[in-house]
Amino acid sequence: MGNEPIQGLRLLLVDDENDFRQTLVKRLNKRGIEANQAASGEACLALLAERPMDVVVLDVKMPGIGGFDVLQRIKALGLSTEVILLTGHAATQDGVEGIKAGAFDYLSKPIEFEHLLGKIRQAYDKIVGTREKRQAAEYKARLAQQMIATERLAALGTLAAGVAHEINNPLAIINEAAGYMRLLVNKLAADTPQREGFQKALDKIEKSVKRARTITHQLLGSVRKNESVLAEVNLAELAEETRQLLAGQARDKNLAMTLEAPADLAAVWVEPNQVRQILINLLGNAVHATPEGGRVWIRITASGAGVTLEVGDTGTGIPRENLDKIFEPFFSTKTPGQGTGLGLYVSRQIVEKLGGSIEVHSRVGQGSRFVVEIPNQVEPHKGEMQ
Amino acid sequence: MIKIATHILLVDDEKDFVEMLSLRLQEAGEKVTPAHDGRMGLDLLQKEHIDVVILDIKMPGMDGIQVLKEIKTRHPLVEVILLTGHGTAETAVEGMRLGAFDYLMKPADFDELTAKLNGARQKKEAQEERIRKAEARLLLRKGGNI
Repeated sequence: MGNEPIQGLRLLLVDDENDFRQTLVKRLNKRGIEANQAASGEACLALLAERPMDVVVLDVKMPGIGGFDVLQRIKALGLSTEVILLTGHAATQDGVEGIKAGAFDYLSKPIEFEHLLGKIRQAYDKIVGTREKRQAAEYKARLAQQMIATERLAALGTLAAGVAHEINNPLAIINEAAGYMRLLVNKLAADTPQREGFQKALDKIEKSVKRARTITHQLLGSVRKNESVLAEVNLAELAEETRQLLAGQARDKNLAMTLEAPADLAAVWVEPNQVRQILINLLGNAVHATPEGGRVWIRITASGAGVTLEVGDTGTGIPRENLDKIFEPFFSTKTPGQGTGLGLYVSRQIVEKLGGSIEVHSRVGQGSRFVVEIPNQVEPHKGEMQ
Repeated sequence: MIKIATHILLVDDEKDFVEMLSLRLQEAGEKVTPAHDGRMGLDLLQKEHIDVVILDIKMPGMDGIQVLKEIKTRHPLVEVILLTGHGTAETAVEGMRLGAFDYLMKPADFDELTAKLNGARQKKEAQEERIRKAEARLLLRKGGNI
């Protein structure tokens, strides 16, 4: 606990004694803390309705709405505001009641300034901690959602491509059968009964085959194409973000997780979400495959036309017979339910779409290294030139 | 003008497809030998004089690319047209690097198929013609030496 000002703290002092308030505000000011003031419970609640506060220092004994009532109303509002109660001398009972009602803590008057400051800091730390935790959880949930969506899309794409492919075969048979019939019908004498009828029907069949063919080919083509949003991305930052996301899992297994990247790494034009997906998949696999106490690393280096990204681990490694299969959809060595078997498949799809490559080097019992080459996709001006 | 039939070997594991396309091509004046897998196709290629092979890429057992490699090793003058589903378009391009004349996506447009068949056959004939001429020159030179 130093003397440094508390960053971003929104503080409210509520006390009916004007002198006491002013003195406290001045002293707080000297420490670089701006305090808002309210002279009564009513004023406090009115102010809170307009401007949210982090910490409220609240006198218990006030005319009008007393400190306890104010505390209860603040807690009833469900605000993330923390309350420090100021109770009368030797009124310990009040303080305990206050904490039961949801106050962060209490101090008895006359208060010692440093003591109060310490409590304010603690209360604020708690708020910041909760807020960060919530943000991390939200971010994680959002990413998980994105991954599920991408994997589902990939699965759907594979399915659609499979169906379209299978339909093309019978379609080809219908096409040739109709074509053959047409040749036969054309040879019939012009006055053959129903000759025109046959020709008309064959027209319809051939047209419909063409239509179905367009559909299947579009379906097969659309699997690869996606709307892409390019952005200038610093891969080191993206990697650090991913590292933090998986830091908890690594800690649970007591893994050392490091990130190496040159400080002067140039930004590349890629789709950040896709590259993030690759990183999450690779790093997640690495953490999963590495036993207690092992090492997982990300190494980023600049390469000729882009960036080389390496994710390595000292894990179980991949048996030779599986090396060819790991990029196939639905291939997984995890227990059912733990992995979809699409992570690496999706990663490779993405890398290939980015015009890059992904390689794996692995030895059973020693670990694996995934090396991804990500080319810098376009010059920033390309869009204007087209 | 009398059409000279192109002798086609049609290799596809879809029997109905082979049957229908064979009938259609025959009706259009070509000579067709059907085969239902790569092994059968290669055997027939030994026995019969074939101009052009129409070859499906996706087949169980020996796939089209393996068959193509065999054909190009054993019968380098025989031209091959690959048939592909959309998903194997990359493979088809790889096939062309290995010596295939061209590729078509299933279901193929018949006019396109006909055009490619003609192209493949012309290429083969032109090559055979050059070989004949080269042989003739060789004979002449040998004759001159006597």
